[in-house]
Amino acid sequence: MTMLILRRLAAMFVVLLVLTAAIFLLRQITPANPARVALGPQASIGAVEEYSRELGLDKPLVVQYFTYLNDIAHGDFQVSVRTRRAVSEDLAAFVPATMELALYGIMFAALGGLVLGVVSAARWRGSGVVRNVMLMGASVPSFLLAFGLILVMSRNLGWLPGTGRSSLPDMPEGPTQLLTVDAILHGRPDAFFNALRHLILPSVTIGLASAVAIGRVLRSSLHASLDSDYVRTARAKGLAERLVLRRHALRNASGPAMTMAGLQLGLMFAGVVIVEQIFAWPGIGWYTAQSIPTNDFAAIAAVTLILGSLYVIVNTAVDIAQMLADPRIRR
Amino acid sequence: MTGSDTGTARLGSPRERLLGSLRRLRLPDGLALGALVVLVLVAIAAPVVAPHSATAPSGIPLSPPSGSAWLGTDEVGRDILSRLIFGLRLSLIGAVLIIASGVIIGSIIGLVAGAVGGWVDMLLMRLTDVFLALPAPVLAIAVVAAMGPSFANTLLAVSIVWWPWYARIVRGEVTAIGARPHVDAAKLAGVGRPRLWTRHLLPGAGPSVLVVASLDVGYVVLILAGLSFLGLGAPAPAPELGAMAAQGLRFLLSKWWVPVFPGVAVAVLAYTANLAGDALRDLIGDR
Repeated sequence: MTMLILRRLAAMFVVLLVLTAAIFLLRQITPANPARVALGPQASIGAVEEYSRELGLDKPLVVQYFTYLNDIAHGDFQVSVRTRRAVSEDLAAFVPATMELALYGIMFAALGGLVLGVVSAARWRGSGVVRNVMLMGASVPSFLLAFGLILVMSRNLGWLPGTGRSSLPDMPEGPTQLLTVDAILHGRPDAFFNALRHLILPSVTIGLASAVAIGRVLRSSLHASLDSDYVRTARAKGLAERLVLRRHALRNASGPAMTMAGLQLGLMFAGVVIVEQIFAWPGIGWYTAQSIPTNDFAAIAAVTLILGSLYVIVNTAVDIAQMLADPRIRR
Repeated sequence: MTGSDTGTARLGSPRERLLGSLRRLRLPDGLALGALVVLVLVAIAAPVVAPHSATAPSGIPLSPPSGSAWLGTDEVGRDILSRLIFGLRLSLIGAVLIIASGVIIGSIIGLVAGAVGGWVDMLLMRLTDVFLALPAPVLAIAVVAAMGPSFANTLLAVSIVWWPWYARIVRGEVTAIGARPHVDAAKLAGVGRPRLWTRHLLPGAGPSVLVVASLDVGYVVLILAGLSFLGLGAPAPAPELGAMAAQGLRFLLSKWWVPVFPGVAVAVLAYTANLAGDALRDLIGDR
């Protein structure tokens, strides 16, 4: 068991190394010279060459790669062309907003996926309709969903805000930088609900496609477990159908859905770039969207590295959690 | 394979089998496939079908949907419907090229891994696993950003991250087929390696790959629209659906039709492709 987990962790480190190598290679093909970027367009050619040597850009690629690994291990992601600040400082300012959005997004997706999976797996007349709605949900681009939600819920009905993280001038600043959590820690229900209301539309936008994906996987594994012998036994011993579903069928069918949820969390990190731009959400997605038009590759590389690593780590964690929870996987 | 597929429809010549499949086609599936054919035809005939130019202004800027401009005009006065028709064309071309290159790269890797076996198989499949473990959309953003935004670079970026699934499927099918008697018979008959691989092993992976590829069309359309929304696509005047929605974003609250219709076009295309993919899967047989 320990051996299996160690092997899974080793595989994770290999993937992370490949990710850093990929980003390092991409950095090589960008036309921008890091020395030129750091010194600005006014610097002389001589100064740029001097600084290139200082940065070690004349060394062999392998040496440069290890320098790069050393830099990122120390949290040095170079300087952003656009903000003229260290990318690590920028990230520290923007990451919490994205974390909060992704957290609520995956909660919505997990809940929605559970409902969609159970409702569409049950053999009743409306399940075909639900399946079709799910297919539609999987086909709508996130920006269209965002447009629709903003137009209806925000502009026409005025129920929910469509931009930003909060509208209070005195949001409590706290240790976690997650507004809803900090509001609770400061005992400010008004701030909590204000932040929560701002979270609803973006997290629904970002979570809907994932909810559908989780729901589809859950449906097919529920079909399999509802046809199984242990469900027949549970029914035969006279358990209520709801208990059969909850204790026997759903629990055994949840593995693939968990894996899907892990994968979806990763895809959510990509979706964040679009959704944050539309909702003016001050997270790393918004930061990336601002960095793309200015060709700020240092920023984009750092965000790719962080989002990519999170994706790999989350999926490894889900795998290990399943190994621990489900003896059938421990082969 | 589902129960209904095991009848006589499985036997007979390919042509008879196809006719048999078509006869079993359910009406909704037929409609889905028909709708996709219509969209493809519209995309091919875009210059004939579009009422106006996609890049030159044809009316008063930001005018709402009306008889002369069915879906209204954008901030430059270009006809939105005409731009959508050309955008549909770009989306479909992009999706087809990406999936085709994914299938080709994946088939080569999967075929070599499955047919050669041994350490080659292990090496190639570990490589595939590593690619599968990385988030494709996030990588695609970085690749296009590094190479500089253009339509060709976007296609290249997505293709680079799109082959692993196909490699895995082809490898699985090839390994399974390689153990069957007809392959042994071919080997005994003295069939050479190239012919064995291309005529006896690869075709067996065809149906599975076709099903996955057709289900991928909708997904690729969405990813391309997303990248183009972020400004990682063809430069400004090109009628890309995602870019149109992004440029129209500032008019969302006042002139909703400018950003909303391009999004609707993406959704219609992706939905039709998904329905048609499902239909094709049922037609070829569930695996």
